[in-house]
Amino acid sequence: MANLLWLQGGACSGNTMSFLNAEEPSACDLVTDFGITVLWHPSLGVELGDNLKALLLDLTSGRKPLDIFVFEGSVVNAPNGTGEWNRFCGRPMKDWVKELSAVAAFTVAVGDCATWGGIPATSPNPSESVGLQFLKRANGGALGAGYKSKAGLPVINIPGCPAHPDWITQIVVAVATGRTADITLDEFQRPKTFFQSFTQTGCTRNMHFAYKVSATEFGQRKGCLFYDLGCRGPMTHSPCNRILWNRQSSKTRAGMPCMGCTEPEFPFFDLAPGTVFKTQTVMGVPKDMPTGVDKKGYLALTAAAKNAAPKWAEEDIFVV
Amino acid sequence: MSQVQTLDISPVGRVEGDLDVRVDITDGVVTSAWTQAELFRGFELILKDKDPQAGLVVTPRACGICGASHLTCAAWALDTAWQTEVPRNAILARNLGQLTESLQSQPRYFYGLYAIDLTNKNYRKSKYYDEAVKRFSAFTGTSYEQGVTISGKPVEIYALLGGQWPHSSFMVPGGVMCAPTLTDITRAWSLLEYYKKNWLESHWLGCSLERYEQIQSYDDFMVWLDESPAHANSDLGFYWRMGQDIGLDTYGGGAGKYVSWGYLPHEDKYQKPTIDGRNAAVIMKSGVYDSKTDTHKVMDQKFLRENTNHAWYDEGSADVHPFDRTTKPVQKNTIDHNGKYSWSTAVSHVDDGRLEAGPLARQLIAGGQHGESWQHQDGLILDMFKKMGGASVHLRQIGRMHETVKLYRQAERCLREFKLNDPWYIKPRERDGRGWGATEAIRGALCHWIEVKDGKIKNYQIIAPTTWNVGPRDGKGQLGPIEQALIGTPIADASDPVEVGHVARSFDSCLVCTVHAHDAKTGKELARFRTA
Repeated sequence: MANLLWLQGGACSGNTMSFLNAEEPSACDLVTDFGITVLWHPSLGVELGDNLKALLLDLTSGRKPLDIFVFEGSVVNAPNGTGEWNRFCGRPMKDWVKELSAVAAFTVAVGDCATWGGIPATSPNPSESVGLQFLKRANGGALGAGYKSKAGLPVINIPGCPAHPDWITQIVVAVATGRTADITLDEFQRPKTFFQSFTQTGCTRNMHFAYKVSATEFGQRKGCLFYDLGCRGPMTHSPCNRILWNRQSSKTRAGMPCMGCTEPEFPFFDLAPGTVFKTQTVMGVPKDMPTGVDKKGYLALTAAAKNAAPKWAEEDIFVV
Repeated sequence: MSQVQTLDISPVGRVEGDLDVRVDITDGVVTSAWTQAELFRGFELILKDKDPQAGLVVTPRACGICGASHLTCAAWALDTAWQTEVPRNAILARNLGQLTESLQSQPRYFYGLYAIDLTNKNYRKSKYYDEAVKRFSAFTGTSYEQGVTISGKPVEIYALLGGQWPHSSFMVPGGVMCAPTLTDITRAWSLLEYYKKNWLESHWLGCSLERYEQIQSYDDFMVWLDESPAHANSDLGFYWRMGQDIGLDTYGGGAGKYVSWGYLPHEDKYQKPTIDGRNAAVIMKSGVYDSKTDTHKVMDQKFLRENTNHAWYDEGSADVHPFDRTTKPVQKNTIDHNGKYSWSTAVSHVDDGRLEAGPLARQLIAGGQHGESWQHQDGLILDMFKKMGGASVHLRQIGRMHETVKLYRQAERCLREFKLNDPWYIKPRERDGRGWGATEAIRGALCHWIEVKDGKIKNYQIIAPTTWNVGPRDGKGQLGPIEQALIGTPIADASDPVEVGHVARSFDSCLVCTVHAHDAKTGKELARFRTA
């Protein structure tokens, strides 16, 4: 049994929409089978106006315990640090966030905006957005680097744009069923169970990566998206090709380059001219290497791969 | 002397991103209203000087609910700016992506956001109340659980094309990134069938699609309703009866004028996309419907104007076209109901003024005889509109849900028309220029304008359906469509103004979707009653 409050700041509702795609367990299963009480959610809540404000005050005053505080969207500080560009129930959302985080047993940041600032924090960051405990790679954010929830954990970061529904439901269920000791977090406070492996792990284009056969244009069934089309699968931590999206596929399987959305720098290069869907190179070598590979190793690896590449690798293997 | 009470409701939940409404009530009826959009993220500012394709990444993230629609607009805007050629398969794949997003939204919106209100204690005197609680209660209602859970199925098809929903960027100038195989198409067919069998026919209609499609008029609908208990007790039949019992057909009228950009470019008619060529190329035609004169005409982006007199921007008082906007937010967004009080701009048609966007608007426009002879025409909702005395909270729902069967048929058509061995993408040449892309998101008219100069974005502007509907007063003092719709709304219990929520939610306004999105509030005594 646990109660849950979900609020949105500078958000698009994409994480809520992703969450509602969940199955096993579904959003409804969390309530009916796992005993989670949803106190309020901006899309699913029943209370309007005054009733909601009374609920929030009960929580911040401690009259009612708050087990899980989920936040979606960036914490908006504009203009000039006041947060008035994002008001909720009569005051800046950032003030609610601080007070609710202070009383919550567990605080969970869902999606990139809540973890590291995300798209709203893209230069020039007009809304002065930050994440709950990070801005991009810098620890701090809205709650400060030293923040711990009542249960003694920092903010649990579930990044992604959006986060996968299973990443959300599994963490919520772990908290509700008392399995939080099983959750280990990495340096960016991401649950390691999801974010230790790479997006590339399980990608159907791995053979093309291995033989350095490139998809040079979109709309092809063959080739790796890393060499020309800007795919960040080899250096992004996520289980997108292990825990499939919408139970069916992943972006790289479907032919879309990974944009690295579970990493703090997303969107990479602040979307500067020439950086979208194009691999950034220096003298023909990718600027960003697969994690842990150095330039010398990369040159040796790709030269050998090209030499070894079988003829079939240049042909379409996923035929109609 | 009658007493004027002022009620601030913050937030009106379940409109995405939250909406603040302030209403004046005289003798239990709303006599004036202000809709306040309270979140600004500045997507137009973020996009300035970025890669021309940045809109494909950023704009779907303007709204996680209508992301495929934003992506559609962003892609077509670049196609027109770059003068691309888009292969037939790619047009079908874009359309299918958008259709599956809309099919997802229908049950998710109806049960998750809208029908919960029917369980409000203010309706416990209705003879339908107990049944409504059984079906529509949040999380546990029999239809709620089935509807919300099955809403994830159509977007599995989206994932087969784009890798995931929400937030893929698989539509790109010149086509799409994917090249589906026979397995993907077979699976997509099966997912559609599952949705039909386990919700659309079984729960929503209580009959086959074919039987429902025979309904052409209000009278046909009433015959259908009485024809069988399965029809009357379907969620559609039940909602129709309860909605009328609790008077949802008696308020929430609004502007009386409607807009649609049209949607679904025909795969053989828009392979060389241009801004001016779009109207004659879309299956679902664009239009403006004026119910006061009962006239239809075609809509064009050049008729659109924005005004910021009552919105938190320093951009002068003139009505401007989006290509001429500069997006300068004020620093101090103080609420002044005589001055500026919203992040949403006031959008209007240069000749026809304020227009309502949304599914009801689409259906009223589908009833017109304007446009090309081959384009879709369907007079059912227009007939209901005339026989029922115009728009209401009730008819907005019926109009929205009526579209489901048509969306389903269009999705089937896309699957039939794919030629898997033909191209999906033709690499375009990047160039400077102006572009415009439009569609109908499930909740209404959506479009993007882009100007590319020196290889980067000079100006990017978005008008979302919510910008049309939730906008504040304009330069002439004319109220926005939701503000107009709220006037005349009866409030039974001012401490729980469910009727205001009904009106706002009947528009499915997505404040996050306005890009200048919002959250709630008024700053003062929230949702507190003040008696003037």
